[in-house]
Amino acid sequence: MTRTQLDDAPGHTHQHPPTWTTKRIAWIAVGLGGVVLLFVIRGFSAGLDVALPNQAQDLLTLAISVIVESLPFVILGILLSILVQVWIPDAWLVKYLPRNPVLRRAAISFLGVVLPVCECGNVPLARGLMVKGCTVSESMTFLLAAPILNPITIITTHQAFGWDSGILVARLVGGFLIANIVGWLYSLHRDQDSLLTPRFAAECRVPESHEHGETRMQQSLALFVREASVMMPALFIGALVAGAIQVLVPRAVLVSLGSNPLWSVLAMMVLAFVIAVCSNVDAFFILPFANTFTPGSIATFLVFGPIIDVKMLALLRTTFRTPVLIQLTVIVGLLSALTGLVVNFVF
Amino acid sequence: MWRGIRRWRGVVLVATAVVATIWLAATNQLILYIHPRYVLFTVIMAVVALAIIVASVLVRQPHDHDEPDTRRQKAVSIAAIMTSLVLGVGLIAVPPAVLTSATVAQRDINSAGVGADVTSVDDAASSSDAAFAKFTVLDWASLLRQTSDLAFYDGKPVDVTGFITADPDDPQNVFYVSRFVITCCAVDAQPVGVPVYSPNWSDSYAVDDWVEVTGSFGANQSSRSTQPLAVQPGESGIVGIEEPGDPYLF
Repeated sequence: MTRTQLDDAPGHTHQHPPTWTTKRIAWIAVGLGGVVLLFVIRGFSAGLDVALPNQAQDLLTLAISVIVESLPFVILGILLSILVQVWIPDAWLVKYLPRNPVLRRAAISFLGVVLPVCECGNVPLARGLMVKGCTVSESMTFLLAAPILNPITIITTHQAFGWDSGILVARLVGGFLIANIVGWLYSLHRDQDSLLTPRFAAECRVPESHEHGETRMQQSLALFVREASVMMPALFIGALVAGAIQVLVPRAVLVSLGSNPLWSVLAMMVLAFVIAVCSNVDAFFILPFANTFTPGSIATFLVFGPIIDVKMLALLRTTFRTPVLIQLTVIVGLLSALTGLVVNFVF
Repeated sequence: MWRGIRRWRGVVLVATAVVATIWLAATNQLILYIHPRYVLFTVIMAVVALAIIVASVLVRQPHDHDEPDTRRQKAVSIAAIMTSLVLGVGLIAVPPAVLTSATVAQRDINSAGVGADVTSVDDAASSSDAAFAKFTVLDWASLLRQTSDLAFYDGKPVDVTGFITADPDDPQNVFYVSRFVITCCAVDAQPVGVPVYSPNWSDSYAVDDWVEVTGSFGANQSSRSTQPLAVQPGESGIVGIEEPGDPYLF
């Protein structure tokens, strides 16, 4: 832990203190000792007889389950983001994408095919793309399309529903169109930076040349520390909220709305919002509801859920301003509902 | 101080989650939270993350160039950190646990059909008694959804384990031997259960107790329960057991 550097004033000088000071060694000991200590506490506390009330216990179990399930994907997303930002030459990404903005966004929607992270991993990756020079609207298109247009999601959705009732097709086409419509809408915005949180916008503006001869390894580690500091509190809070809602809102309230063509679509959007499961597996989650809910409402769940839910809003808030997230929720909500209604009434 | 906290909070939270994950995997309890198919991927990423954490502590990094937080940003961050730490303590210091009957009540037992590979009546009809005795709560629950024809169940041996949840319609005489079925992680757990007719069961057992029930199906003698069939446990057909190491069905 290089505290000597952290204590620098904002208008820092670029003279680094010698590498191995006593203070630095002490902080390394604290860091490594901390990890060992965590293991020791975990080992000892397992034998404790803690009797939480059932509801509190289940809230904790559900929140931990969200974290354990999402963490590997978040880590993978951060690693891919580091790969894009530090290790891949700038020209690569830009060179092979079409120049025409519409085609360019369409091409970006399919990046998820080669970078298959689910939605929580996509946030750090989209941040990496923006730092690397993608516009805000382009990275939004990626953010919305990639969780749906990726091989794992397509396979699991196909396993769950096959080609029945057009659910898979509606999910893929709906997801693609929504991502591109939203990207197009935001590309009309003149001041793209104003969509971002001030902290992240500042990060994007830091010129590449502002390096003091660090190795790529050092840059990568610094980026990991930074992305983790932004993503992890959001993930923890998202998990806690998701767990709390599960314990507090009876499932039956939503299920009773299931067979009405209009209400089922709205109920499924609420369910997707509160349940916050990963796009890679949400098809399995929703499969048991398929006999009580209309196909259109299932399609809505599968289009809306990967993009907007409590956990994702917490993660997206790290990057986008609140008004943008409200607009995004409304636009994506309307378009997903439209997708569901088209499936219900047209097919 | 604040810059240090702001910088390292993420690494501390990753370390917390990663240590909890690796410990759960080492003690075979990761399946309390996620489906077995994710265990390998989760463990690999946890080990990778642990290596990166150690490296990030050891290797000197460039300092960040962030603007100092405003007072409001700082207040929000502190609230977020405190909330995360509560969950962090839950991850590290509370013994792992299985979902309880509170979640069963919230999700309505047997309310949803489960997965694609359920046992079908046609497949089951030709099974031997030995095969039936191995049927889980999930197998029986999916059969009960398909047919309540007593002739099909007649004489078939039932031997299932699960935890007790009361039948909401007749809590005095009927309970469910219940299990959660998981498709991805505990968040999507669906409760399934087999009704058992046992008057005044709560004299000997409590809700959430794990039991092994043996017997066979018969017409449900409870007048209030909506279940047409129920297991009639014979003499000593209900035995209290320890919670198994793999409490969920997949």
